[in-house]
Parts: sequence; C-alpha cells; structure tokens
Amino acid sequence: MLELQRNVIFGQFVETGSFIHRMDARVKIAVTSVFIVASFLIDDFLGFAVLLPLLVVIGVVSRIPIGYVLRGSRIFIAFLALILAFQVLFYSRDVPESSYLWRWGLLSVSTEGLYSAGILALRVILLYYVTTMLMLTTSLVDLTNGLELIFGPLQRLRIPVNELVLVFVIAIKFVPIFIEEMERLARAQTARGVPFDEGGAITRARRLGRLLIPIFISGFARADTLTIAMNTRSYRGGRYRTKLRQMSASPSDWLALILVIAWISVAWLV
Amino acid sequence: MRPDGTPPILELKGFDYTYLEGTPRASEAVRDISFRIDSGERVGIVGATQSGKSTVVDSFAHLLRLTPGQVFYKGEDVAATGYDKGRLRREIGIVFQQPDSQIIEDVVGADVAFGPTAAGLSAGETRGRVEESLNTLGLPYADFRLRYIHALSGGQRRRVAIAGVLAMHTPVLVLDEPMAGLDPRGRKELLELLIKLQKDRELTLIVCSASLNDASLLCDRFIVLDRGTVVMDGPVREILRQADRLAELDITLPEPVVGAREMQRLFPDFPTDLLTEDELESELLTRLGTA
Repeated sequence: MLELQRNVIFGQFVETGSFIHRMDARVKIAVTSVFIVASFLIDDFLGFAVLLPLLVVIGVVSRIPIGYVLRGSRIFIAFLALILAFQVLFYSRDVPESSYLWRWGLLSVSTEGLYSAGILALRVILLYYVTTMLMLTTSLVDLTNGLELIFGPLQRLRIPVNELVLVFVIAIKFVPIFIEEMERLARAQTARGVPFDEGGAITRARRLGRLLIPIFISGFARADTLTIAMNTRSYRGGRYRTKLRQMSASPSDWLALILVIAWISVAWLV
Repeated sequence: MRPDGTPPILELKGFDYTYLEGTPRASEAVRDISFRIDSGERVGIVGATQSGKSTVVDSFAHLLRLTPGQVFYKGEDVAATGYDKGRLRREIGIVFQQPDSQIIEDVVGADVAFGPTAAGLSAGETRGRVEESLNTLGLPYADFRLRYIHALSGGQRRRVAIAGVLAMHTPVLVLDEPMAGLDPRGRKELLELLIKLQKDRELTLIVCSASLNDASLLCDRFIVLDRGTVVMDGPVREILRQADRLAELDITLPEPVVGAREMQRLFPDFPTDLLTEDELESELLTRLGTA
C-alpha cells in the first residue's frame, strides 16, 4: 500500500538524542550554511572526495540509520536522475569533436557533459544531504529560535525577521503533514476502487493528480485554522516575546563548527 | 467456522501491525488481534483513540502492508500473492471517519457513480444505483445529482460518502465513527437508516466507535480494543455488564448505562446491561416498587 512517509523524509525530525541533536541550533544552521557555500565553491571531484568522510562522520554521529535516509530520498533521487539525464544529453558548451561518445541530432553524450553532470549531481546531493540532516536532527522549536536569533539583528533594518522565519518554518513543517494527508486520501480512495498500489509509474503518477484538489482544499482549511488559533492566542511577531529556554553554545559546539570550516577549507583548496 | 461449515466472512489471526516498520519512526498500532466475524453479523469495534480501530478497519480491505496469514476474507488469505485486491475492495465497503477523504469527484452524482462505473456496470445500471443510494440517504436524486460536494454541509458530505459506498452493493459495510460531527437528528436518522439497510440487504455491518451510545443500538456484539489488543469480545449486553471496566478504558457509555451506574449508588446490584431509556425506566420502577 502507498506508504509515502517512507519515501519522503523531507522536513521530518527524528529524535535519537545524539551529539548533533544536542548541538546549539545556531551552530547547526551555521554549519549547514558553510556547507551550502562550499557546495558552490568546490568544483572538482577531489574536493567532494575530501568532504565525503566528514559527511559520513555526521551521518554516523547523528545515529540516524542511513537506510532510512536513502529510502526516504527515493523520489528526490529519481527526480535528480531525470534532471541529470537532460544535463548530459543537451550539454553543448565547447565540446571538442574528439570527446563525443554518442550523438544524435541535438542529443549527445560527451565526456565534458558527463563531467559537468557529475559535479552538478554532487552539489545537489550535498545541498540535499546537509539540509535534510539539519531538519532530521533539529526540532521545529530549535530551528525557529535559532533562525530568529541569527537573523535578529536585521530587525533594526525593519526587516520582519520573526514573521519571515515563522513562514519558512511553517512551510517546511507542512510538508510531512501534507504527505500524511496524501497517504490518508490515497488509502480512502483505494478502498473505493482507485488502486493506488497497482499499475506502472505513469499510471500511479496520474492517480496522484487526483489527490491535488482535495489536498489543496485541506491545505487551505489547515492554514485557516492555524491563523485562527494564532489570533485567538494573540500571536504577534516574536519581537515582543521572551524565551523560556535560552540557547547557549557549548565549547564542543564551537569546536565542531571550527572543525567543519577547516575541513571544508581543505576540500576547497585541494 | 459456523456449524454449516462456511468460513467466517472476515477473520483476523494474530494480526500485528507496525506503521513505518523498520524506520526510526516506527509505531506499533496493534498486537496479536484475533477474531472472526460471520456473515450477517452486526459488530461494533470499540475503543478509545489510539486503540487500533482504524488499523483493523484498513486491514479488512488490504489498505496496509499486510503480512500473509493474518487477515482472511471468506477463508482466503488476502495478503497471499496473486489475491485479487480489487475484488476484495468491491466487496468490502468502508466509510471513513473523514468523509472528505474518500470523495473522488466534484459533483455528487459523479462521485456516487464512481464505484459502480469502476466495477464495470452499464450506464443504465449505474444511474439506477446512484438514484437509489442518494434517495436512501435522504439526498433526493433530482435535487442533489449535480451539486458540488465541497459546497455541501458536513452531514451532507458524510451522506454522499455513505451513498458512494452503498452504491457498490457490498456484502460488508464498515463505518468508522459514522456519527462524528452529526447533530442529534442526523444521528437518529442515520441510525434508523443503517438498521433498516442491514436488515434489507442482510449486510455484515461493522461499526467503529469510541462511544457505545449509538453502537449499542446498532450492534449485537462488541469487540473492545485497548492499546492495540482485544480486551473484551462478546454480546452487547454481556459487555455492558462490565460498565466500570469500559469506563476505565475511556469508552463513552450509552446514556441508559450512565444512568444505571448512578443508580448503583442507591442499589448496588442495579444492572448496567440496559440498551434503552425504557429499559432503565422499567428497571427503576420495579426497584422503587419493591423498595
């Protein structure tokens, strides 16, 4: 039966009580940002190879089973493969005649194309991996507080930081809710004779289309309820709020941050 | 097995189920559930939230990743390879707790027609089924056929959902919390309708609820679940006799039973297996007469 939650882990939080879970959210967000910058700076396979052990260490320390992450990334990987296929087939920038492996009209496979697609794949996978790890190891509350504290100073420039962070976090956290909702809908419709668990990929994808309207309707209803709930509790931006829990970064947090930056610098420079 | 040798229409044998099994978010829903339901029975599956009712219901129509050897329909293992799940789902009609989730089309008539059309009925037969189902549920065909479902009230949407399932003429009808969100009049009407339907079509009727209020009038037998296991299984009156235990399990008792439990303060041996207010009244009058 359709168990979408297995195949999409984006936006989920899995508590394992590991060192990474206990780290200060601000440090985790900083580390993630450094990785994101790195994913754009590093442009050869060697650089990514140097990063690999660090990513493995993060995965192991977080105690989140790698199988779970991989299974939960199936749809992402399939999508990425599709994009990469296009990247390879339509690659045509300064390719010397000798490096074409195959050619047919506009479509071609060249060593340059494969190389650029390979680098692109590693970039996207790195981006996806670090942001997924951030969400898997950081609770909604910590993520919100961390972002608010990091971008807090921008409030002096009259940028509504708290509101923006809130919108961002709600958007992310709605993903798992939508997925659960889709699962429920798919189950109910299967019971009525739309077999979501049978047929090929295209038939299945078409059936998913049927869920869009009910998903949108329930999405709007949910957003409406959330607004009412926030209004009845007199929510106004966090500028006026005080925090029950103060965040504090421990020396080991700082150490982790420095280590990651150093490692990434090495990967960039090699 | 009944005396005549026919297998039960539905049977669970040591049914275990864990959602997202093998992931860090795994959660066990039910453990070692076994019961059999014979054709034509009226069974209530009752329990508080998180007791596993919905998981049991979903298993009937094979809407989960079932392990072979646990769920049987008419004696056949529904999880066996090659089992025709489509046929199973055409024979087990489920009305889910949220009616919106099982509505497929935008317009009432089209939605009710969905099942019969998918089952391969001719346009004429389908039209007949739609008309009959809508009329049965008090949604006159001529008036409601072309209405937009999302513009209907909650109670009407639920009735459309039920009509969609009734139009399939399934031998088994399963309702998950059918009375939730209905006003007293709506509840009374639906109750009477279900009793009549069950009798006319000789349905196997299964009702899931956290409240025994309407279920006690609709069912002959209760299967009581608590945290994923069966804790009681028997005729309605026999179960109601253990009213204190039911209250402990966070199950809403029928009003006459609530009254009877109050009466136990005056008469410690006052029975709790009462289905109607009339029964409560006559029991009370007897007591008062003798006191």
